[in-house]
Amino acid sequence: MSAYLQVSGLNKRFGGLQALRDCSFTVGQGRITCLVGPNGAGKTTIFNAITGFLVPDTGHVEFQGRSLDGQSPQQIVRHGIARTFQNLRLFADLTARDNVLAGMQDHVGEGPLGAIFRPFHTARALAGKRDAAMAVLAHVGLEDRADALVRNLSYGEQKLLCIARILATGAELLLLDEPTSGLSGAALTEVMALLRRLQSEGKTLLVVEHNTRVVQQIADDVLFLHHGHLLAHGSPAEIIADPKLAEIYFGGTL
Amino acid sequence: MLWLNLLLNGLVWGCALGMVAVSFSLIFATTRFFHVAHAAVYGLGGYVAWSALKHGLPEWAALLVGIVACGAVGALIQKLLYERLDRSGATHLVILIASLGLSAVIQNSLAAVYTSNVLQYGLPWGNRTTVIGGALLTNTQMLTVGFGILSYLGAMWFAHRTVLGKRMRAVASNPFLAEITRLQPRQVHIAVMAIGSALVCIPGVLVPLDLGLQPFGGVPILLTATIAVIAGGVGSISGAFVLALVIAVLQNLSLLVMPGEWSIGITFGIFVIFMLFRPRGLFTG
Amino acid sequence: MDFLTTYIVLAEIYVLLGLSTNLLVGIVGIFSVSQAAVFGVGAYLTAFLLMHTALPFPVAVLLAAALCVGLNILVTLPSLRVSGDYFVVTSFGIQLLATAVFTNWTGGTGGANGLPGVPAPMILGHEFLEPTEFIALTTIGMGLGCLCFWLMMRAPFGALLRAIREDELAVAALGKSVLGAKVSAAALAGAFAGSAGGLYATFLSFVDPSSFDLDASIFLLTMVVVGGARTLAGSVLGPFVLLALPQILALIDIPTSIAAAARQLIYGLLLIVFMLFRPQGLLGEKL
Repeated sequence: MSAYLQVSGLNKRFGGLQALRDCSFTVGQGRITCLVGPNGAGKTTIFNAITGFLVPDTGHVEFQGRSLDGQSPQQIVRHGIARTFQNLRLFADLTARDNVLAGMQDHVGEGPLGAIFRPFHTARALAGKRDAAMAVLAHVGLEDRADALVRNLSYGEQKLLCIARILATGAELLLLDEPTSGLSGAALTEVMALLRRLQSEGKTLLVVEHNTRVVQQIADDVLFLHHGHLLAHGSPAEIIADPKLAEIYFGGTL
Repeated sequence: MLWLNLLLNGLVWGCALGMVAVSFSLIFATTRFFHVAHAAVYGLGGYVAWSALKHGLPEWAALLVGIVACGAVGALIQKLLYERLDRSGATHLVILIASLGLSAVIQNSLAAVYTSNVLQYGLPWGNRTTVIGGALLTNTQMLTVGFGILSYLGAMWFAHRTVLGKRMRAVASNPFLAEITRLQPRQVHIAVMAIGSALVCIPGVLVPLDLGLQPFGGVPILLTATIAVIAGGVGSISGAFVLALVIAVLQNLSLLVMPGEWSIGITFGIFVIFMLFRPRGLFTG
Repeated sequence: MDFLTTYIVLAEIYVLLGLSTNLLVGIVGIFSVSQAAVFGVGAYLTAFLLMHTALPFPVAVLLAAALCVGLNILVTLPSLRVSGDYFVVTSFGIQLLATAVFTNWTGGTGGANGLPGVPAPMILGHEFLEPTEFIALTTIGMGLGCLCFWLMMRAPFGALLRAIREDELAVAALGKSVLGAKVSAAALAGAFAGSAGGLYATFLSFVDPSSFDLDASIFLLTMVVVGGARTLAGSVLGPFVLLALPQILALIDIPTSIAAAARQLIYGLLLIVFMLFRPQGLLGEKL
């Protein structure tokens, strides 16, 4: 039985830097897996490799038994995988709803011919999409801010919007790049609750996370990455308790 | 032997084109900006030298005046236009349009002041020929080759041996890092624009020495030169010069099979081939 | 009266070109100096079809527009795949190549002397000869163009293009084809420019290569920059303002020998000034 997401033997070199070194791990379906490790460990690089933004020098990525090697980001989304960005990359001058709409996979009206020659069909479909976008926003708790421009949202709201946007794609495997970074208090709790809610709805989450408290509270599995290589994996308790890993994480060398 | 003549003419023309290409390469690699107005500076240089000549200056002085003027104009363009737009957060597209506008202003000013007719330098010594190794070369052609090779060597020396040149290459290879270390990329940009603009004055004078001055002559030449720069590999001075020679020779040899007005087709064809099969160019910087 | 009509007819034709340039430069964000070349292709092809085949006017224009669609796709697809700077070179190349073809292919385009004798449009038996009749045609054409533009921008396609302008990478990460959207927009721009060419050729009944050179492309850019980028209003205002400019200039005593250079100089100045101080133009959004 093949794993839900299987990454095997990924290598990637950027000039003089070996960003990924024989990196292999699996992600179980329906679980929240946290990807931890010191800065520069290659966590975002792995996201880029999985989602087609980067072609690894060697190695394979398999999702539900199907190879993702060499596929474009667009194709990967169609397989049911979507990712957020560490620096958000929201459409700042668009509303929250328009950002979510951008993620919807129903392509009616997304080409000039459809827009011009079937205006009523397009308008109807657009109305339907707007309702669906509203539902997604409600799901993450942003329904009141649907018509607010992204630049006017609070940072916490923007982080929620990032997740809403990829939920709109209908992806079942969500790759979240530091969804809680920069958040504290109520905003942090809200995001954590959302992640658990998504899991209970059947989504699988692979989360890059720096906050050990978050990892403890939501992770089912933890993958510890160092110098582009999987150093250790296990339950949150095991990983956090390991003194050698703590030393690496907080600045030691191996 | 027609083809030998065409080959030699191509090499000479290639040296002129090479100077334009090298000067553009210096600017483009460092600032990452497609300085469209370079074509206008090329034109300006030729006319400034012509005016200096008409005012009684000896030829070498006229050329020098042109070079200095172009260098100054280049620096001013960077400081007053490009840098200003960059500081206000303008997108690449905005600066490109401004550059195009400036190009139109300069070239049409030249057309208004000097008329759109072809202007000659009227220097008879330019056409005197010398026989070198069985081939007939005019003085102008020899000057072109001489300056071309000198410019290429000079640019290479500058880029690899001088402090400014090294700073320029550092800024070119990592603009972000350059910003936060003490490389002062803004100063480097101004310097590189000054040097590139000064350099392009030389072909701006040598080419019209033969063909006559024209306000809008710089555009097709710049287009060909930029293709040489890109096909040669952005950041590679040698690539730019070598590809300029190659394109010039191919353009000339194509005269064997098709009329001259279509030479742009050859150049463009080369570009399309590179774009399809080797977009990163032949050499790397 | 006839003069005002001519001005309006030309302005309306140029609105189509404004929509075309705005799509490409304003909305997709491509630096294009080859719009006049596509305009020219539309003009020459319509003229050729009307003079050498029995095709009715609307079909000829449609065919010309279709060819321009193909031309734009052919030009943008490979170069957009590589990088933005490549398109600058491609665009200049296309424009210079087109001018070379227009002025030297005496067999096909009449060379530097142009193509005289283009017949007036004939639709359902009615011949549109006078400017006062032609204006009906161009007004409808402009209306249709504006309608298409408006529908397109309201649809998800417009939203997709706007998102691409903001962050291409993020759009790709959402599973949308960025290249496909850009090329589609370019294709539509081709349709606008091609139809404008057809109307232009039949209005003037003479196709002259100097209307489609680099200076003309610069004029088209100026139209969009002054009128305003990325909006319908800007695309309509720009041509009306810019085509009135030569008349205003005629009030100043500029010697005819430098009139053309003076005009182009002003366009260049307008480009610089607007980019420095008002990049959104009169009625547009910031480029």
